[in-house]
Amino acid sequence: MFSEDTILLLYEITDVIIAGLSMGSVYALMAVGMTLVYGVTKAFNFAYGDFFNMGGYFAWILIFGLGFQFMGYLGVLIIVMPLMFAVGYALEKLMIAPLRKREDWENKVMMLTLGLALFLTSLYTVVFGVRMKSLPPIWEGTLEIGQLVFAYQDIMIFVLSLGGIGLLGWMLNNTRIGMAVQAVAQNPVGAKIVGIPKERIFASTFAISTVMVGFGGILLSQKYFINPMSGGTIMIKAWVVTAFGGMGSIRGGLYAAFIIGMMEALVGWVFGLSYGIIALFILLIATLVFRPQGLMGKGG
Amino acid sequence: MPVIWVMTMLSVRNLNAYYGESHVLRDVAVSVKQGEVVVMLGPNGHGKSTLLKSICGLVDQITGRINYKEEPITGMATENIVNLGLIYIAENRELFPHMTVLENLKLGAYAKNARPHEKGNLEWVFDLFPRLVERRKQLASTMSGGEARMLAVARGLMSNADFLCIDEPSLGLQPSLRHEIFSIIKQISKEGKTVLLVEQNIPQITELADRIYVMEEGQISFEGDKDEALGNEHLREIFLGM
Repeated sequence: MFSEDTILLLYEITDVIIAGLSMGSVYALMAVGMTLVYGVTKAFNFAYGDFFNMGGYFAWILIFGLGFQFMGYLGVLIIVMPLMFAVGYALEKLMIAPLRKREDWENKVMMLTLGLALFLTSLYTVVFGVRMKSLPPIWEGTLEIGQLVFAYQDIMIFVLSLGGIGLLGWMLNNTRIGMAVQAVAQNPVGAKIVGIPKERIFASTFAISTVMVGFGGILLSQKYFINPMSGGTIMIKAWVVTAFGGMGSIRGGLYAAFIIGMMEALVGWVFGLSYGIIALFILLIATLVFRPQGLMGKGG
Repeated sequence: MPVIWVMTMLSVRNLNAYYGESHVLRDVAVSVKQGEVVVMLGPNGHGKSTLLKSICGLVDQITGRINYKEEPITGMATENIVNLGLIYIAENRELFPHMTVLENLKLGAYAKNARPHEKGNLEWVFDLFPRLVERRKQLASTMSGGEARMLAVARGLMSNADFLCIDEPSLGLQPSLRHEIFSIIKQISKEGKTVLLVEQNIPQITELADRIYVMEEGQISFEGDKDEALGNEHLREIFLGM
């Protein structure tokens, strides 16, 4: 029927697709968090990638630093996620909210978060050293269907990322605070008129995005490594996904994340892993030249 | 005439408002009693909307005194003002375009004090605006101008407010819809709400108004009841279009 070579090729392609899907799902998680903040506050957070590291490092401290074992990863998530929310909320209230009263605050927020990113990178270097860190897999072992081998880890990453996005989507559409977040994104003046406390919504949105990217950090640190600098790469990826999907469009971000995840896996397979980032930039440039509003952006 | 004591719902004294360099309101004084419909007339761009926005905490730079139910509310955050029972209904509607009619209405009841009344108020506004019932699943952005205006008023009512600041509800509407919206405002007033309404120059406004103010160049240039307004040559010509 098929030659052995063809079958081997098929396995390799399956591996690439799985890698693409699991990467894509984490990118989706991060892009949705980023686009949410942009859609609501119209400000750009350059420290986003460093919150990815923060999630990974918090989990690392718990597991290796404190020897935390209660309920496995579920216990880690139960502790780290509220912590990420608190960090995000406090940072927004203490650092970004005071800027918002000034003129041209969007640019000032960019500068501030850029500074924050540098600060966090240095902080991580001092505290954790430059050596790479990795987290144990959330679920060890493999699932074998005939000759196909799936790592449970990949499946868990995929399921948990999509679960996180689903939960966010449910919250946005079914809770009072979620509707308020959408209201502020759609019409800030209207939101103010009906008595939605904009400041609190801004801070909550920022905190939610911190949780999402921190969650992404925990998921991906099991497969890849984190070091103090990896926030920069993550930031670039999240940014390209967001720009390609269309700033402020959650649905666009989702499509873009999977397209880019697949593209990376495919380029890595054909040309080698280091070409992934080159492909990313080519895609970014192409997007900015041919469709600056992104896949599903509203233009402007 | 017998003097009947009626609570002053809103009293504005020495109100000055600024947008950056421009001085929009100059020493404005307005008072509205419980249950009244007070109409603020005046040409476009002379500060009528700014007055309503100042009252509802939507203008940053204001000085003076605004009392609501005898409590000072000057400089208070809008969400707290809404919670006290004062709501601004915008002339350009300010709806949430990608949400349905029902979602818009529910967000109208976002204030803490409005939440327990959400269900009752929803039934009430659907009674007042039967048209919205059949459109409740429709996106706000796909509604016609008249329907969007009704939705804006209905969303304001969802806040359970006692005091409505309605900004040019008839702007851009055809006469039949204009008539409809005025009769609904009349109905709302009959049900005990107090209304401060801004209009440009509509003749039928006089049948709605208990009292009339006129604002020109950021100052109150006339204050009086309906008959006085109708008897005033200058007003009749300029604002009432007669």
